[in-house]
Amino acid sequence: MNGYAQLACYLVLGLVLGGVIVVLPQLLSPRSIGRTTENTYECGIDTVGSAWMRFSITYYVFALIFVAFEVDILYLFPVAVAYEPSGWRGLAEIAAFLVILSLAILYAWRKGVFVWKSHRAPQSSSGPNA
Amino acid sequence: MSPPETLVDKLDSPWLGVVLGVAAVLGMLTVNVLFLVWLERKVSAWIQRRMGPTEVGPFGLFQTLADMLKLLSKQLITPRHVDKPLYHLAPLVVFVPVVAAASLFPFSAGLVLQDLDIGLVLVFAFGGLAFVGIFMAGWGSNNKYALLGAMRSVAQNISYEIPLILASLSVVLMSGTMNLAKITALQSERGYWFIVLQPVAAVIYFIAALAETNRAPFDIPEAESELVAGFHTEYSGMRFALFFFAEYSNVFIVSMVATVLFLGGWSGPLLPGPVWFFLKVYALVGLTMWVRWTFPRLRFDQLMSFCWVVLTPLAILNLLITAFVARLV
Repeated sequence: MNGYAQLACYLVLGLVLGGVIVVLPQLLSPRSIGRTTENTYECGIDTVGSAWMRFSITYYVFALIFVAFEVDILYLFPVAVAYEPSGWRGLAEIAAFLVILSLAILYAWRKGVFVWKSHRAPQSSSGPNA
Repeated sequence: MSPPETLVDKLDSPWLGVVLGVAAVLGMLTVNVLFLVWLERKVSAWIQRRMGPTEVGPFGLFQTLADMLKLLSKQLITPRHVDKPLYHLAPLVVFVPVVAAASLFPFSAGLVLQDLDIGLVLVFAFGGLAFVGIFMAGWGSNNKYALLGAMRSVAQNISYEIPLILASLSVVLMSGTMNLAKITALQSERGYWFIVLQPVAAVIYFIAALAETNRAPFDIPEAESELVAGFHTEYSGMRFALFFFAEYSNVFIVSMVATVLFLGGWSGPLLPGPVWFFLKVYALVGLTMWVRWTFPRLRFDQLMSFCWVVLTPLAILNLLITAFVARLV
């Protein structure tokens, strides 16, 4: 069995054990359900509405930059491993790659992504803000 | 991938190896978490001039064990309006990768459960899986605090992932391998730790690792004064314990990565390998605790812009310089 198959077994066994850890207390613990036991927690007063609502768009932009970056950086791992014999050409290529990558940050920076604007809604309507 | 012989290869049956391996990893992590929680309470007490836990066992050492037993006997409450599949799966999705990731580390020469050539990438990949779990918990709970906490947590984690990986990349570039055991062996051979050549990367890694593990001063996702408990607000009993277990194990895992990458892993004079390894890891964990109890929390926009405007460009620059210097020598 090679290392990756073993690792997969670790994941499966971990899942089983985690399941046991969650199920075990069901057998031990008391079960008393009152009128408000299953309410969603919110400062102790009655819950107002659902949490599934519109959310600040800024998070979405960060997710976009992340996806672009993370994929590119993963490409760099094989590059880093094979860097030693690649000569000066390797340096030029890695530099070009990183410079282009940095442009993405510069662009987002100029666009004002990293400056968080206050999303406070007008007094009359209380919108969801982050 | 045959050299060096791992522990599991020495056993006759691979299945037995897997079961023993999981038991060993879980045992180690559990003891660690119990100890780390106790240590955290003691460290915070020392810093705030209190006593911390003293009653259960010598120096209150068994306090967390007692806490765990209490959690075991607590009722698991599932709120009425949750998204059931997401809500129930989330603790497991956070917990399982921790077990797999912890099995990848070399505790001494030859003392490694899984000696894989892409060990470093795998550790980061398992770390990434946990973010999915965190978001599942936040969204599935249908609780406003949990959702806010999860949103912040994921935004922060994915952002700090970039400088974290870039900092580790400079070490990979220097050593030419992603195998954790080989990176350690290389430092042992050359007789110096990579922190000597990569001090900037080491500092970037440490800061990003603090943010990755949601610890102060980057603990906005569960800022208790504003968000109750963040993404695990609606979890009780052992489900909460699973999140807690994963959180402290992650602190331990990022410290292990830092030890392997920058502090020479198990290499060191006189003392045996595992002793050196754990000494270094605990020194780093101690440092994280010290930081947690002395620095105030950052504001969320400061946190995000610090990552993208300061840390990431610095990490890219560091990588470029590393590549350049590697050509010269």
